Amino acid sequence: MLTTTLILGLVLGGTYALLALGLTLQYGIARIMNLAYGEFALAAAFLAVALFQGIGLSPLLSLPGIAAAGYGAGWLLYQVMMRPLVARSGGGGRLETDSILATFGLLFLLQGGLLLAFGADFTSISHLERGVDVFGVPVAANRLIAFAICVLAGGALVAALRFTRWGLAMRAVALAPGSAPLVGIDVNRVARQGFALGAALAATAGASISMYQTFSATGGVVFTMKALVIVIMGGVGNVPGALAAGFALGLIETFVATAIDPGLTLAATFALFLGVLLWRPQGLFGART
Amino acid sequence: MLEIRGLTVAYGKHVALEDASLDVEQGRMVAILGANGAGKSSLLGAIGGRVVPVSGSIRYRGRPLLGMAQHRLVEEGIALVPEGRGIFPALRVEENLRLGAFPARARQCAAERMEEVFALFPKLAERRRQIAGTMSGGEQQMVAIGRALMSKPDLLLLDEPSLGLAPIVTREVFAALARIRATGLTILIVEQNARATLELADHAYLVAAGRIAGSGPAERIKSDPAVIRAFLGGSPAAAE
Repeated sequence: MLTTTLILGLVLGGTYALLALGLTLQYGIARIMNLAYGEFALAAAFLAVALFQGIGLSPLLSLPGIAAAGYGAGWLLYQVMMRPLVARSGGGGRLETDSILATFGLLFLLQGGLLLAFGADFTSISHLERGVDVFGVPVAANRLIAFAICVLAGGALVAALRFTRWGLAMRAVALAPGSAPLVGIDVNRVARQGFALGAALAATAGASISMYQTFSATGGVVFTMKALVIVIMGGVGNVPGALAAGFALGLIETFVATAIDPGLTLAATFALFLGVLLWRPQGLFGART
Repeated sequence: MLEIRGLTVAYGKHVALEDASLDVEQGRMVAILGANGAGKSSLLGAIGGRVVPVSGSIRYRGRPLLGMAQHRLVEEGIALVPEGRGIFPALRVEENLRLGAFPARARQCAAERMEEVFALFPKLAERRRQIAGTMSGGEQQMVAIGRALMSKPDLLLLDEPSLGLAPIVTREVFAALARIRATGLTILIVEQNARATLELADHAYLVAAGRIAGSGPAERIKSDPAVIRAFLGGSPAAAE
């Protein structure tokens, strides 16, 4: 029983962690709190389903292309919509408010587009549902694959941020954007890359979720909220923190669903969120002020 | 190497620097001296791309520099150590230095240069793993200067490197500047510690009330009675 909860929780947490990584990158590096983030993931999920149903392309095969499309869309969105806001804010805190309002509007625009293109019905494909035995617990193959994608993408990102020159530049911009130009870093370029990479992660998470979860065009906000809860729990802009908090949320949700009632998972998520906001606003793993 | 003509910097209606002209020749160390608020930092800010001047021109190696994005200046070989240092306090000393070698021009020989910086500031070698923000002001200044050197600059701009440092630490920083100076690097330094700066510099400009009030070889400026009264303090005899 406990093993089952643990394994299912970790598998679910993997997807959550991946979902949250993109949001924390966008906020940490580009300083944009993207409330339309969940719609990015949803659009990717719909695209994966459309490709599967239309031409029989497995989400596993379409995933790299969808991630690349996500990067492109994020890049374009930053250039067209965010760049003027960044220029106007002059590096001040105004960008945060402006970006929240702008992306809140974008949320409905994207949602409308999704409703128009895919309708309001719930969609699911249940691809690769065969059960796989993990330490005696049967787990659907698609969930395991989504978990593996998360571990690979998340691990690669953490390693790249920690060990490469590119990652060092990303961290420099996240920590002290005013000082980055002193060492020849083009802050605008790095912020655009960070935002686009965040969108690529959202797309990756969305395409992996499409393999096993039922979703509809209006459900993006739940993705955004869960990602936001994880980001705040992990410490805003803290990538390893977001990974850990993602797994924690998956475990808690699974535990609440099995031990208490499946209808309470969302309530548990937000109770946790409120608790963290009240008692540890810097996040469970963030010590910096 | 650097040619400034008729530079005027204003913040709103307040004119911080008016019609300033100066030259920095290759291989020289040039000092800009003046009291607080005289317009020294505006001058360096304009060269470093942090302030947009109202009028005037800045030419570097014969090419106009104004309007160039701040991050591109480093690629051109101009490294700025700003007032307040502008280091990355949350990163390790080593990471700060590695970031200094981020410009394409400096990537090739980054490891060698790091050894040079460590030779110049042995303390940084001991503390390479320390989070830069937890170091003392003087040590952070060394990180900032070391990071600027990592970019393999042709022209080093220093804005008040001794500001807020204890006298003993100031001496340490100036000793390091003397060693950097000895490598033949072109340096433009803004300082309020006029005496120590004039010991090192070849040439000095005096800034007062937003204008360049005088200039000349450091040797002559050092013994000019008017300068001693205004910038060095004490009587000419005491300065000898």
